[in-house]
Amino acid sequence: MSTAGIEIGLERETPAGLETEEMTLNMGPQHPSTHGVLRFVVKADGEVMRRAIPDIGYLHRSIEKISEKVGYHGFMPYTDRVDYVSAMQCNQGWAMACEKLASIEVPRRGEYCRVIACELGRIASHLISVGTTGMDIGAFTPFTHALRERERINNLLEELCGARLTFNYMRIGGCAWDIPPGFVKRASEFVEQFEPLIDEYNELISFNKIYVERLANVAIVPAEMAIAWNLVGPNLRGSGVKYDVRKDVPYSVYPELEFDVPVGTGERGTLGDSYDRYMVRMNEMKESCRILRQALGGIPEGPVIAKVPRTFKPPPGEVYVRVEASRGDMGWFVVSDGTAFPARTHIRTGSFSAMAIIEELSKGLMIADLVAVIASLDIVAPEVDR
Amino acid sequence: MGYFNNIRETIRTIFEGMAITASHLVREPYTVQYPDRIDLPIQDTLPFRYRGLLDVDLEICTGCLACERACPIDCIVIEAEKNKQTKEMILRRFDIDLAKCMYCGLCSEPCPTGSIHHTPEFEGADYSLESMVRRFVKAPIPAYKPTKGPETDPEIAPLLTRGLRYLDEFASPGDSK
Repeated sequence: MSTAGIEIGLERETPAGLETEEMTLNMGPQHPSTHGVLRFVVKADGEVMRRAIPDIGYLHRSIEKISEKVGYHGFMPYTDRVDYVSAMQCNQGWAMACEKLASIEVPRRGEYCRVIACELGRIASHLISVGTTGMDIGAFTPFTHALRERERINNLLEELCGARLTFNYMRIGGCAWDIPPGFVKRASEFVEQFEPLIDEYNELISFNKIYVERLANVAIVPAEMAIAWNLVGPNLRGSGVKYDVRKDVPYSVYPELEFDVPVGTGERGTLGDSYDRYMVRMNEMKESCRILRQALGGIPEGPVIAKVPRTFKPPPGEVYVRVEASRGDMGWFVVSDGTAFPARTHIRTGSFSAMAIIEELSKGLMIADLVAVIASLDIVAPEVDR
Repeated sequence: MGYFNNIRETIRTIFEGMAITASHLVREPYTVQYPDRIDLPIQDTLPFRYRGLLDVDLEICTGCLACERACPIDCIVIEAEKNKQTKEMILRRFDIDLAKCMYCGLCSEPCPTGSIHHTPEFEGADYSLESMVRRFVKAPIPAYKPTKGPETDPEIAPLLTRGLRYLDEFASPGDSK
């Protein structure tokens, strides 16, 4: 039979006459735990999954094609929609690609504004991720705690750029707004208050025995498998591979800032299980706090945006830039033909490869664990389809 | 033994979590009731940069079409023509389709006078898409012509001050502030 264009063969061997029918279940597209519009075709034998086949395309908005129609400046608000949970890094990816095309140097103050905005966005995104991990497997309270902190970040970013979700903060050559008066103080206050709350959050849920049992030793991704399946970001680091674009392919002012790259240690189970991926996000929030503290303390004077003509026509050529988004290595490939519109844009996102690995991981898992796998891989549906 | 250890661990960690939850009973609540229950109207508590519903001050609109060109989704439609005799720009139409608008703020950035701007209003729900098209020009009116030196018209001056302050908020390139 054919499901979602993929041929599925039965792989079970049972004595003749005793075959039972394999269940084919639909999970999604509208399912509360699928973080958006995701669909899985689950082949199950009772409670055990034979396979969960991801079916993508429900949130395809042809964002890449839109870039060919709206031009370089006009595409910036659309990049917010690529990954709306952490829109800042998408903004930065597009801005960096265009700057590389036209060889524009961003003023240092602009770079600091970007780093501050991006790290606040990363904390907000990881809070959503760890909060929904708890909610998906049955713990509701941590989600409200995570959203409470995220609300404060949203307030800060609203002050910075006027929007709470689709920021459209960055421009080609820098940022649209300078840091408002009093922002540094309020942001520093937030960082100081937020860091102890990570420990409290750990006490609340991360070390809870039931929670650990649900995540530890579930969906183990060894390092070789993670690399082979092209996992990036916290999913890759959860498998113990120390790879971070901010460290390994430095961009912006990250080389000047001091931070560590947390990796999975297999503390409660096996290296590379769902719990490791979850804990990497918790630890990354602490590192983001460290980066924020340094960046907020060292904002240089000067302009935040370089001189860029309103009709932006970069010279012909092609560039590929990568940023460390909340869901890992995000690549922006832009081809310019010398006109005011890009000839081709391609976006490489972390959720897409994380979505692909689910089919492999789901073999032999319980149906209820599929939810934990989706949550621990931190899949955001719009990022899968663009 | 592992079995009983598991049970003990479970009970211990549950109570640890419950202690944190219980401590929130005595902490200050973070949520507030919408829409009232606070001293000020919610619009007044929003930051100056808040990107709410778009508004246009026609008195200071120069009819330069910069906003129409900047809009990536073409939700702004302006019809302006030059009067041959008086060499004055006449605005015939200035429509903003707020149903299409995605509140990106790209239109207010190139405006020379800050005429098109975001307001802190956000309650724009309505029953029909038709009613979401804001038609700012009721009858053809002449566009604003910037004067040399400070504006003297008492009606226009405060609008222009507001508009220029709005523009100042945007980081203009090469500006060292």
